[in-house]
Amino acid sequence: MAEARLGPKPSQMSLVDKLGRISWGLIFLTSVIACIGFGMLYSAADGNMNPWASRQILRFAAGLIVVLVIAVIDIRIWMRWAYVIYVATLATLFAVEFFGLIGMGAQRWLYFGWFQLQPSELMKIALVLALARYFHRMTLDDARRPALLVTPILMLLAPMVLVLRQPDLGTAAMLVVGAGAIFFVSGVALRYFAIGGAIAAAGVPIAWQFLREYQRERILTFLNPEADPLGAGYHILQSKIALGSGGLFGRGFMHGTQSHLSFLPEHQTDFIFTMLAEELGLVGAATLIGLYVLLFAYGFAIALRARNHFGRLLGIGLTTTLFLYVFINIAMVVGLIPVVGVPLPLISYGGTAMITVLFSLGLLMCVFVHRDEQINRLTS
Amino acid sequence: MKKFGRRRGDPQCVPGQNGHSSAQVRLHGAHKSSIEIVRRRLLLGAGLFTVAFFVLSMRLVEVALFNEVRPSNAVNEEVETRDGPARADITDRNGVILATSLATRSLYADPQDVRSSASAAARLAEVLPEIDLKTVMARLSSDKRFVWLKRHLTPRQVAAVNALGEPGFRFLEEQRRVYPHGSLVVHAVGYAKLDNRGLSGLERTYDKRLLSHPNKPLTLSIDLRFQHVMHEELARAILLHHPVGAVGIILDIASGGLRAIVSLPDFNPNESGSVDQDVLFNRATLGTYEMGSTFKVFTTAMALDTGVATLQDGFDVSEPLRLARHVIRDFHGEGRWLSVPEIFIHSSNIGAAKMALAVGGDIQREFLARLGLLDRSQIELPEIAAPRYPKQWKDINTATIGFGHGIAVSPVQLCAGIASLINGGFWRSPTLLVENEKLNPAERVVSRVTSRAMRQLLRLAVTHGTGQNAEVAGYRVGGKTGTAEKVGPKGYDRSRVLSSFVGVFPISAPRYLVFVMLDEPKGAPATHGYVTGGWTAAPVVGRVIARIGPMSGIAPAVEGTAKDEFSTTVVKLDGDEIRLAAY
Repeated sequence: MAEARLGPKPSQMSLVDKLGRISWGLIFLTSVIACIGFGMLYSAADGNMNPWASRQILRFAAGLIVVLVIAVIDIRIWMRWAYVIYVATLATLFAVEFFGLIGMGAQRWLYFGWFQLQPSELMKIALVLALARYFHRMTLDDARRPALLVTPILMLLAPMVLVLRQPDLGTAAMLVVGAGAIFFVSGVALRYFAIGGAIAAAGVPIAWQFLREYQRERILTFLNPEADPLGAGYHILQSKIALGSGGLFGRGFMHGTQSHLSFLPEHQTDFIFTMLAEELGLVGAATLIGLYVLLFAYGFAIALRARNHFGRLLGIGLTTTLFLYVFINIAMVVGLIPVVGVPLPLISYGGTAMITVLFSLGLLMCVFVHRDEQINRLTS
Repeated sequence: MKKFGRRRGDPQCVPGQNGHSSAQVRLHGAHKSSIEIVRRRLLLGAGLFTVAFFVLSMRLVEVALFNEVRPSNAVNEEVETRDGPARADITDRNGVILATSLATRSLYADPQDVRSSASAAARLAEVLPEIDLKTVMARLSSDKRFVWLKRHLTPRQVAAVNALGEPGFRFLEEQRRVYPHGSLVVHAVGYAKLDNRGLSGLERTYDKRLLSHPNKPLTLSIDLRFQHVMHEELARAILLHHPVGAVGIILDIASGGLRAIVSLPDFNPNESGSVDQDVLFNRATLGTYEMGSTFKVFTTAMALDTGVATLQDGFDVSEPLRLARHVIRDFHGEGRWLSVPEIFIHSSNIGAAKMALAVGGDIQREFLARLGLLDRSQIELPEIAAPRYPKQWKDINTATIGFGHGIAVSPVQLCAGIASLINGGFWRSPTLLVENEKLNPAERVVSRVTSRAMRQLLRLAVTHGTGQNAEVAGYRVGGKTGTAEKVGPKGYDRSRVLSSFVGVFPISAPRYLVFVMLDEPKGAPATHGYVTGGWTAAPVVGRVIARIGPMSGIAPAVEGTAKDEFSTTVVKLDGDEIRLAAY
């Protein structure tokens, strides 16, 4: 019966078959969210396609093609290359951290001619890939053996330490939670999570020492933004004001005062949600959140539907990563968590975020395309 | 959703459906439980996500709909508005604005909001090159919450600073005091600086009134045209004689209103920066000087009014006057008996001293007090000095005060005193305000007869005496010179003198008293090296009268045309007997 349900073997599944198995609904949903993003960028530039909207459209168009290409690549190839991708990404992260692409200072970018990439962004995917591959061949009993958890924990810690050195709290949090999701779904005993949580809590005072002044300030500001309304608390207060200004139905497209009068910083990138909420109101914000929820529902459904463990783990890891983008960004602008530089997927202006998000969606789609593939857990 | 929908019937794919467990039965035990756990945990994760989004949504609703921070707060507070205290204008008697307030904006900073004091200061210096970079940087680095950066910016500067986009830079709306005529009336008007508080002059005296009645201008008795003429003529005299200071006063004889009051050197109140004490010093009211011979006007009037002497009487000045250990001499002693008019026009110290002694110290003291010369002037300025005179009024004091030594009064006091002797005999406090001018109480100090005699004597001094340089064609001027040696380290110093001239015109019906005083004038070729009042101050008075006479609408008189030009009073003058003018 299982055999009967198996789709064609990879060698047997033609490109047309694969394209047929693509979830066009997910593509459509992604496009709808992206279009909202174009609209907001158009508004952010005071009704201009330049400088943001036009470029974002081009990137998205190119990114959609990448999504399809990634989706039709055999999932086994991704699994086979998972460690390589991870090690390569870790190496670039290491190189960037320690050699800093000489002279780039605090900015940790890799330049590839026409586009630039932050290895830390790429690492969010690479870590998920590598952990999914690692846990793919582990049974539930294996997952309960502490000795076998050392390797994945190291796989997580290596990039995390590098990212924290930058220090980039948002990315580090996303790596931990993304990896944690895979650990969790793999069946790692809950007590380890409790232990991990305890260690993290104990590490907070130590970590505090390593934080840069601006980061400490952000956290203190988060705790009491009104303490310094024109300094560190400025972003979050202006953001709250903008949200309040939007009210239920918003001030109307292109009529946001806070953002258009430049009270709101970074209104085309990290704080774009605020602008949206001001111009389109609570209704618009809820609609966007609804679309995201739908996107994650797709992600979960894909993870659940996948018949191979790698795909399942990859699906949950990627969905978690996407979820974290959205959650951290929105929680930040509504003042639930301190300000960390995490963009809103598909909406915020920026090439790196777009690439990471579409790469994730491509892999998610790949899981879905290969949902019925059976991958031997012991040999692969 | 279609693809998922198509598989909804597939029990293995649909989470949470009971049916799927049957499909799992055949699987290996461990694998089965693994799948179960994975599914359970996946769903748990989805549940966590749902909770997270629920929290997020609730927060969003809270912030969007129940936000305590309303936009009106922050948007409007961006431009802080604190209306500076509006200050009433100050005008001259004709309504010409002497001081007014302009709304400006001043730049301050909250250093805690300035991200980088060095870069902020550097960028500020680019748009405001006049600021001192180090000072600004130090201020921006302080831990205060308010530091001034620059006061009273122009609208263009405000725009430039705003364009810097530095959130720590803010503006305060203020009022800037502007003096359209610069230094011209500075000592009378005074000045109000940064905080809009009057620091000197009438700005200080009427500080509260100007602030509390911002729409009620303060009207001065000053006539800006007269003020300008006096200022200009004094400035010219300064170029010629290089005195250390100069005073010019024009006083309306009938009302006591000052039409012009100039003290040089002065300063431009519009310029920022601290004001040097020397230029701030109002010599007309705060300076007290031994006036010298102009005091003989008082002595003569006193002698005539008390009946101690008449115009026909005289005193022997052939010998120096010895009093106790002191000897009083004349500059150019006539060495003979002089009539009262001769004593006056030749400015004989011995004669004046003898006249004073003849009247007596007590009467002299009481007489000078009536003329307001022994008390602080009541003029509306904060810068007033008390006159200086001996506590014990001995004979020697009576004698020296008779010719203007041993007593120091301010020029404005002297003018008011002399005015009272020629206006028919009424003393009025000198004033700078039109409103006080109207209500100025008059106090009779000498008789009309004495007053008339004084006018005649003053005219005589210009026609026959030391004041001939003050004569102006068309305007009959009366006047008296004064040349006082200044007190140096070793007593009176002949080389340093205070030269003055007090003129009255038109002497037939005096309207204005014009007083000019030069402190330590230097000789010039045009004055043949003389530094006396007759050579230095008198010509200035003459020129001032020549210019303000036509302005005041006083018709020029042609000599010899007046019907009653000469009176029947005959006085002896230098061997002649002349008839005094019929004033």
